[in-house]
Amino acid sequence: MPREISFFDAYIPTVLLLAVVAAVLALAADRVLVRFGFYELTWHPALFRVSLFICLAALLGLAVYR
Amino acid sequence: MNTPALSLKAQLRQAATDWWRSEAPTWVYVFKMVLAGLLALGIGYGLDLESPRSALITVFIVMQPQSGMILAKSFYRVIGTLVGSMAIVVFVGLFAQTPELFLLASALWIGLCTVGSAHNRNFRSYGFVLSGYTVALIGLPAALHPAITFDSVMTRVTEIMVGIVCVGLVSALVFPQASAPGLVRIIRGRFTAFVDLISATLGGTADRKQLEATNARFVGDIIGLEAMRSAAIFEDPEVRLRSGRLTRMNSEFMALSTRMHALHQLMNRLHANPAASAQVVIDAISPYFREVQPLLTRASGEPVMSALDAADAALKLDAYKRELPRRVRATRNTLSEQCQSDNAMLDFDTASELLYRVIEELHAYTLTYASMTQRHHEREQWEHSYAPKTSMTTALIAGARAAIVMLALAAFWIASGWPSGDVAVLNAAAFCAITSAAPDPAKATRTVAIGVLFAAVAGYVYTFHILPRLDGYWMLASALMPVLMLAVYLTTKPKWAGYGLGICIFFPFLAVPDNFAHFNAAGYLNESVALVVSLLVTAVAFMVLLPPTTDWTVRVLEKQLRKQVVDACFGKLAHLALKFESGTRDLMHQITLFTGSRPLLRQKALGWMFATLEVGHAIIELRNELHGIRTEAPDLLPASAYAALNRLREAIPALFAQPSAATLASALAANDTTIAQVQAAIGPHYRERSQRHRLQRTLSYLHFIRTALLDEQSPLHTMRAGATNNTTGERHAT
Repeated sequence: MPREISFFDAYIPTVLLLAVVAAVLALAADRVLVRFGFYELTWHPALFRVSLFICLAALLGLAVYR
Repeated sequence: MNTPALSLKAQLRQAATDWWRSEAPTWVYVFKMVLAGLLALGIGYGLDLESPRSALITVFIVMQPQSGMILAKSFYRVIGTLVGSMAIVVFVGLFAQTPELFLLASALWIGLCTVGSAHNRNFRSYGFVLSGYTVALIGLPAALHPAITFDSVMTRVTEIMVGIVCVGLVSALVFPQASAPGLVRIIRGRFTAFVDLISATLGGTADRKQLEATNARFVGDIIGLEAMRSAAIFEDPEVRLRSGRLTRMNSEFMALSTRMHALHQLMNRLHANPAASAQVVIDAISPYFREVQPLLTRASGEPVMSALDAADAALKLDAYKRELPRRVRATRNTLSEQCQSDNAMLDFDTASELLYRVIEELHAYTLTYASMTQRHHEREQWEHSYAPKTSMTTALIAGARAAIVMLALAAFWIASGWPSGDVAVLNAAAFCAITSAAPDPAKATRTVAIGVLFAAVAGYVYTFHILPRLDGYWMLASALMPVLMLAVYLTTKPKWAGYGLGICIFFPFLAVPDNFAHFNAAGYLNESVALVVSLLVTAVAFMVLLPPTTDWTVRVLEKQLRKQVVDACFGKLAHLALKFESGTRDLMHQITLFTGSRPLLRQKALGWMFATLEVGHAIIELRNELHGIRTEAPDLLPASAYAALNRLREAIPALFAQPSAATLASALAANDTTIAQVQAAIGPHYRERSQRHRLQRTLSYLHFIRTALLDEQSPLHTMRAGATNNTTGERHAT
């Protein structure tokens, strides 16, 4: 995958766009998890949510910088 | 010293526990915010951003005790910043060659944003502030170098984002402070307050002071719950799932407290009535009140606390509600044998109708509370939101003030060629936007100005005596820490918050070096002078240009409050009650904010709020009832009764639009005619029960309006021709 994407003639790092995608994915996962009451099982819900986002963003980032 | 060592130890432990309980949360907060700020600063230096101090300042601008509030504030800050940045690019593109036009356009934009922020509530209002603030803060420096506008806007936005991400992460991950306990505390407190209110109604204690205090507290609670809800949905997914029910609970609580207040007032007036028939009515209705209190308390005698208790209470209320009409009819029959007075029967009907509706609404409220235990519930379907009411007049004044301040300073800057004029202009514009939401902006700006003076002196010492000896980020961070901790600590003390905020924002602005540090003592002094001057000009503008704390503003708000009744008379019926309830309370909340130091004015406004709530609510009920009669059984009322009702609908808005002896007399006369007409329509002859009940309900609303208009403690009372304020004099029969 290219490392930069031209957006209206401005170069934007692909990772930035992928981070936005990861945020959307994390938000969707969050909606599903809360529906099943998953957060009652976690010690620190906020930490879990942040970690989930970072995992997703890192996974997507690997697709660019591998 | 004769205190034994052991007791000294115990005393020390006692003192330590006290300190831990009261001061530890504050210090945790101070630690978190300074950590977030220094983290943002470090990342800014690490990423080679132009001026990392923007990230640090952003942290201090969005800092709040609860992480939900920080997330909400950050969310709107991001939106506001992005909108503002787009405006800058457009303005620079259009007016780069003519600074006058650029400044004019910016002033207009900032004025518009200030209007928007005064017109909205909670952190949404903050989003508007930010979009104006961004234009001032980023736009002016960018306009001075039009060629690099896009780059400098991007850098500044990146710095702000770094600050927001840091403060959000630190507040959510390190010793998080959840908002949910606050929500639960408010909801629990309401049940306790309600049980108290019901027992006070039972006693008919006419203590106006306490009633005012209770209602003022309810208003604060309602606004507070709405604010907390709007923040907590950002933080807690469990709260987000229940957001609709929380809004619904708030609406139901407003309806309930208005109805309860009406009942309370009616009972007070009955107690004050010396006629023997009034006592008979009180005796007949009182036993029912005594039964309500046990429904709201647990077996152990405490008021309802958890949602589980509420489910239990809802069951009891449901059974009670179903029994009530039959029992009231029986009581009514015995009562009508005892006394022949029409007025007494009217009082009884009105009170029992109100009681039934109170129970009905209390039942709905407890059901919603009980549903909180579940993640999903049908009661979540609630699309009506809280309707904030802001007087457009005051919002426009705030906007005009911001635009004028900015234009005046800009004119001075251009005319005098002042080298630091840009700093003064951008700072004044930013501060007009930030403080316009404060209850007393002039005072807030004054305290911040003193904070800035301190920041300027401390910043000078830092920049020219300490910074040159430092090497690397860690030494800079440890040197900054004491001042930042002191500043954040000051913001947690209400008395010192303004000074703290001034240091928090302007000490980094002056003393934290850019990535490419340059030392220029003359430039530093120029900037400090510009900052102080801009704050002073802002403070003067808030004091001189129609300050929001004058009696005039309160009168405008009071007029808006009365206008709510006019809206209640002519507005579209769908959801009118909800809009009326929340709009009236929102206005009252604004008045409360403005009249902090003037209890007399506030008391008068509270009086108007009561009159407005009582009459407006009764009118909406009346209109709903009439709507039902018109669509289902139009021949229930004769044409003359409809004509009288229409006259009443003209007379009451006229009274609230222009309260005077003449309008009050005409409203009362119209109301009396209508009562007579409806009474004649009911007639002594047989009617089907549902029809009779309908007419009786209509009559009870009319009667309630009459008692509200005649209330001795209402501000309307002073308008009455020949009325005396002497409460020991002859009481008017109600």
